Amino acid sequence: MTAQRPITLLIAALGGEGGGVLTNWLVNAAEDAGFPVQSTSIPGVAQRTGATTYYIEIYPVQIAALNGKRPVLALTPGVGDIDIAVASELLEAGRAVAGGFVTPNRTHVIASLSRFYAMDEKTAMGDGRFDTDKLIAVINDNAHDALLFDMAKLAAEAGSIISAVMLGAIAGSHRLPLTVEQLEAAIRADGKAVDSNLRGFRAGLETARARSVEETQPTPPLPVKKNARLTLAGLEDEVMRDLPAAAHQFAIEGVRRLTAYQSVAYARLYLDRLAAIAQADAQSGAQGKLLKETARHLAVRMSFEDVVRVAQAKIEPSRMARIARDELRVKDEPFSVHDFLKPGIEELCQLLPPFLARPIIRLAERRGWLGKVYFGMEINSTSVFGYLRFATLAKLRAIRPYGYRYALEQAQLTGWLALIAEAAQRSPAFALEVVECARLIKGYGDTYTRGLHNYQTIETRIVRPALAGDIPLARAADAVASARTAALVDPEGESLARCLAEIERQTHLPIAAE
Amino acid sequence: MERSFKKEVEALRLGDGDTFHGEGILAVTKALLQSGVSYVGGYQGAPVSHLLDVLVDAEDMMAELGVHLETCSNEASAAAMLGASINYPLRGAVTWKSIVGTNVAADALSNLSSPGVLGGAMIILGEDYGEGASVIQERSYAYALKSSMWLLDPRPDLPTIVRTVELGFDLSEASHAPVMLELRIRACHATGEFAARNNRKGVASGLDKIDGPPRFNYDRLAHPPVIYKQEKLKVEERMPAARAFIAKHKMNETIDGDLSDIGIVVMGGLTNSVLRALERLGLADVFGASRIPIKVLNVVYPLVPDEIREFCASKRSVLVVEEGHPDYIEQAINVELRRADIQTKIYGKGPLPQSGEYTSEVLLEGLAAYLQAARPAGIDADAIAEQARGLYGHKPKAAAALGPLPPRPPSFCTGCPERPVFSALKLVQRELGPAHISADIGCHAFGTLPPFSMGNSILGYGMSLASAAAVGPNMTERSISIMGDGGFWHNGLITGVASNLFNKGDGVLIVMQNGYTSATGQQFMPSSLSNRDGAAPGMDIEKTLRSMGVKWLRKVRTYGVANMTKTLKEAMKTAEKGLKVIIADGECQLARQRRVRAEDAIKLKQGQRVTHARYGVDDEICTGDHSCIRLSGCPSLTVKPSPDPLRTDPVANVVDSCVGCGLCGEVAHAAVLCPSFYRAEIVRNATAWDRFLFRFRQTVIGWLGGYNGKTAPAAEPLPELKAAA
Repeated sequence: MTAQRPITLLIAALGGEGGGVLTNWLVNAAEDAGFPVQSTSIPGVAQRTGATTYYIEIYPVQIAALNGKRPVLALTPGVGDIDIAVASELLEAGRAVAGGFVTPNRTHVIASLSRFYAMDEKTAMGDGRFDTDKLIAVINDNAHDALLFDMAKLAAEAGSIISAVMLGAIAGSHRLPLTVEQLEAAIRADGKAVDSNLRGFRAGLETARARSVEETQPTPPLPVKKNARLTLAGLEDEVMRDLPAAAHQFAIEGVRRLTAYQSVAYARLYLDRLAAIAQADAQSGAQGKLLKETARHLAVRMSFEDVVRVAQAKIEPSRMARIARDELRVKDEPFSVHDFLKPGIEELCQLLPPFLARPIIRLAERRGWLGKVYFGMEINSTSVFGYLRFATLAKLRAIRPYGYRYALEQAQLTGWLALIAEAAQRSPAFALEVVECARLIKGYGDTYTRGLHNYQTIETRIVRPALAGDIPLARAADAVASARTAALVDPEGESLARCLAEIERQTHLPIAAE
Repeated sequence: MERSFKKEVEALRLGDGDTFHGEGILAVTKALLQSGVSYVGGYQGAPVSHLLDVLVDAEDMMAELGVHLETCSNEASAAAMLGASINYPLRGAVTWKSIVGTNVAADALSNLSSPGVLGGAMIILGEDYGEGASVIQERSYAYALKSSMWLLDPRPDLPTIVRTVELGFDLSEASHAPVMLELRIRACHATGEFAARNNRKGVASGLDKIDGPPRFNYDRLAHPPVIYKQEKLKVEERMPAARAFIAKHKMNETIDGDLSDIGIVVMGGLTNSVLRALERLGLADVFGASRIPIKVLNVVYPLVPDEIREFCASKRSVLVVEEGHPDYIEQAINVELRRADIQTKIYGKGPLPQSGEYTSEVLLEGLAAYLQAARPAGIDADAIAEQARGLYGHKPKAAAALGPLPPRPPSFCTGCPERPVFSALKLVQRELGPAHISADIGCHAFGTLPPFSMGNSILGYGMSLASAAAVGPNMTERSISIMGDGGFWHNGLITGVASNLFNKGDGVLIVMQNGYTSATGQQFMPSSLSNRDGAAPGMDIEKTLRSMGVKWLRKVRTYGVANMTKTLKEAMKTAEKGLKVIIADGECQLARQRRVRAEDAIKLKQGQRVTHARYGVDDEICTGDHSCIRLSGCPSLTVKPSPDPLRTDPVANVVDSCVGCGLCGEVAHAAVLCPSFYRAEIVRNATAWDRFLFRFRQTVIGWLGGYNGKTAPAAEPLPELKAAA
């Protein structure tokens, strides 16, 4: 007997997101339509943002037509036995694939391209995000067919919960014996936020019908201030004229940023510094790659995060406009923005001339004040006084080049650039890894200190020995790359220490003095 | 409570001729009312929290039936409640999460089952075993065995569950023994329907009270010397009576099949999974007809020897499908057959794994392995094994294609008041070095997961302080115990605090005072500010501790990370001996949001001034180190691609679900992270002064070159550049 089998639906969601609502809609619609249906879930009331699943079986023959027989419906999803796999988040769709619930012979995947990053992805010191392209490729490879689109965006536009969009997409897939009207009726019967959820439903439905698969959006470029451009024209022309095409994008961005950050003269310094690397690039046959990456990192490093830069960013009109528009969704209500600053002694000394700053910092160090004494403040940046405080700090831009921090940064940068040039003479691949090490230095306070320390450790224990011939060049590029990765694994530096020890063991190198 | 069942409880009024639609747990409640219970109670825990929530929401209706409801302070108090059925013909049911709740209840259970019961006594066990389980993987079976209580494990469809509850009370009364009904997590949440019957009033109840106690009868006590007589009663009278009842009412089911030289004995709760696996292998249809004969044990203890012998005698071999370890049923069947000298070979653990949940894949593999070993006449076992492999064989390849996926365990909610305590603990340990942390059960157990990853032991609900008793004296530094207010009242007050004070112990205890038992769905408990009748229960943790003699006690608002850090350091370093308690005070944010949102909505409607705050990160200032996330772990604090074309590391981002608790800002401040956090506040139904001040400020700032309220000019995009390779 070739009996009709139940249609099986696995919903992967995050705890607290409303997967239960979607399940109820489907169950109620199926019950109203007279089909045997059963849903189960493992919510555990404490599921809280963790990955969870809901499972539904609908028997596509109406109870009335079964002559008193009832199908035995399963409570657990079967590996290889899923008709529709729905996920509100892309990684969770991937988890369904990894669990064996998505098979090419039958599974129709309906999943959102949106990501809700897992803890491990968020806490990485660099970029810990799982590879989205891989997720999409593997889902497509394993599914009978897949409908992937950004449900979170559609839900936000419709003002609905994401479950409504999912229900619409399920309706549009025509895999269930339920009509669009029956599913809409389930939303209406629920009685909660009916209008917005119906909007979300239709958005999902239309997308499913159009079967359009969106691509992830490329990152939009950072806008640049209009008035800065005019004074920049010359430098921009110079970039286009003198630098290889590979470096144009970053170098243009660099000169614009540094002009806004400090002055055209400072951007001029950037180009001068790049010129040396351009030469090294050409001589080493790096085909512009070395220059391109240096252009990127040099611009970031030269626009180091000091009080002036923070103050500039805080009073930027576009910032307030963004907060009002995107975050508070202000119509005409009064609003305020409060910023938190907590400079320490080092931060306060940043703008003092080195001859004043050094003795103060030395004294603070002796007294144990560094890392202990901070000046916490909360500033209402939307008040006149708060605005003026930041505006005054921003104006101190003029004295920045005479300050202590500036001197430190330039010295550090010059050293890094010299290393790149020297490394390029040996091997472009090695030089590129040295360039990338700039990534380590970022942030404020402890983060900055730790990053700088990690950079210096890699310099003294790998880069310098490699240049001196103590580490074979063939291995040096790899060694720098793995040390850099290790430095970004844990803030305590345990991974980096292990990695360095391993590298030194392999090269039988006596431990270099730190 | 997190979930309201006000709508669903209406289904509890259904009567003869109506069809009930709903969740398994609600069906059980209906079955209790149909059975004429006089009292119900329990302690919340997944997957039966909702059973208690439903009972609370149905209190009016239960009052109509004269049913007394008690939300007990722990499982021991719930189990002891069943004592009402020892002397009186009162039917009663209690519920809790097993195995942990049964462990807590064990003393009362032993002393209940020894004298036995007059009125039907039932314990609904939420069997939290397998996927999604949050407890040690042990089974309730051992308790049934050792105390001679009967264990029901109904097939997970609503009509069978309801029938088993109803018959269970009859069974309890017929055999004078308490019964336990175990429901796996999915069965609790399975939806379905059954033909309802009228609710029944209990023999005696709040409406029809009992007139005085019975004559003194020593036999009703669990006390020597009658305990020896009671032991005899258990095995010589109650057990045979139970077996006779089970057989007579056909509580266990038999599914006939044409492959009559083999068979399957399955725990009722696993029946649907086994039938589906057989169906996928072509050995059953979707309506539950099977080619292999199946014995469905809706009562897993006691087994009925005659039924077992009869089922097995004519077969060459039988497979026992029994989840979990040890294999009680398989052993019992083997003994039974041995006694009857029946040579049927029993398979069980072997083709099926010793431990772990019997998922679809495990069953497909196990059934195929059994068939290959048993080789029944009439089918090609090898072909079926091949077919089974075809059904799950793709999984390793699919998993390998993706590689290890980032795990996504549950975590503290957005705005949770307990998270800041762990941020503070992280900061304190950074300064003072790692401390021994004795963890506990409750939401705060999420502190054992990233990004906090702290906690050296979890010994049970409310046990953290007690489990540090021998740690502190053997370590150079003080240990820290963490306990929720739920755990404090459940057990910690006596087991932990009293014991510590009694022994003049030292150490630090953090009590998370969020006002509810939050992890199980925000039920009220003794120090809640409200109770199910709206009045505060009136018990206070601080006063309780002071009256017990705690000298060093601080109450700290949890969101003040700097203050919490300071207080913790002081507790760790003070020369003062004795227990040091920090009450970390902050209402459960889920509960708070539900309340505040409703209040704000009313205020907004009435035109009252309402301010709403949320936090944000300036992505231009954030450099993508994510220290803030490592110290906070808030679900609303996440990452997004850097808008800066020169940076590749993603930047921190506060998403819309932010409730404005301020932890991210506090952490950034306390740990001196970075200046990118800000708090944005909007004033709705603003006063004239609000509006004037706002406009004045915006105008002046506009003159000074800042944001004047007009949309900023659209930024010019970068000129098109050929994509750099």
